[in-house]
Amino acid sequence: MVANDVFKALADPTRRAIFEKLAEGGMNATALRDGMEISQPAVSQHLAVLRAAGLVREQRLGRFVNYEVDPNGVAGIGRWLERYRAYWPERVNDLRNVLKEMDQ
Amino acid sequence: MSDTNDVDPERSVSGEYDLDAPPEKVWRAMTVPAIRERWLPGVVLSNPEPTETSVGRKVRYRMRDKDDSFGDSVVTFEVRPNGGGGATLRILHELRESRIVAPTPGPANRNRPPQMRAA
Repeated sequence: MVANDVFKALADPTRRAIFEKLAEGGMNATALRDGMEISQPAVSQHLAVLRAAGLVREQRLGRFVNYEVDPNGVAGIGRWLERYRAYWPERVNDLRNVLKEMDQ
Repeated sequence: MSDTNDVDPERSVSGEYDLDAPPEKVWRAMTVPAIRERWLPGVVLSNPEPTETSVGRKVRYRMRDKDDSFGDSVVTFEVRPNGGGGATLRILHELRESRIVAPTPGPANRNRPPQMRAA
């Protein structure tokens, strides 16, 4: 089950830290390791688990591979929903003000 | 994917809002670019022209996420009288598979010519 994979993938604290770092913006494995005491193979392994759970995806940019939160994954969609659930009531507030200022 | 029947609740945000203005006025705020711009800035739209319009009732725009991390989405505004002289606005915002070609033809990957605005 997908939710179970996601749960397992994020249950590991290192993996969770990697995921949270990527949630702030995509980056390559070298940048990802920066500030973390973790070997390159270990990072690769964690990224593979995150990818298998559909949380992270990789994008090849020439010789480099960039990792980012998969926008179509569960977490990506969750972030999208969170953003727009807050967004529309704000837009409607602005709309109400615009309607007040408009001529009939 | 163009009917509300096909909406995936796990990939969409919807809401209904009661507005203290007649439907015609709300419709103008939805569709006249200079007015729409004051509450829904064009920078969030991937195309300032609606992709679909049912005059006076329903208008649909494509949106682009500001940091482009989610790709395109589609927002539908439906306006109807609320029975008290005002209007009810229904907003349905649907996330489309980003950077993935949809398996079935639908509005998300249909390249329609821009439609004439009626408002």
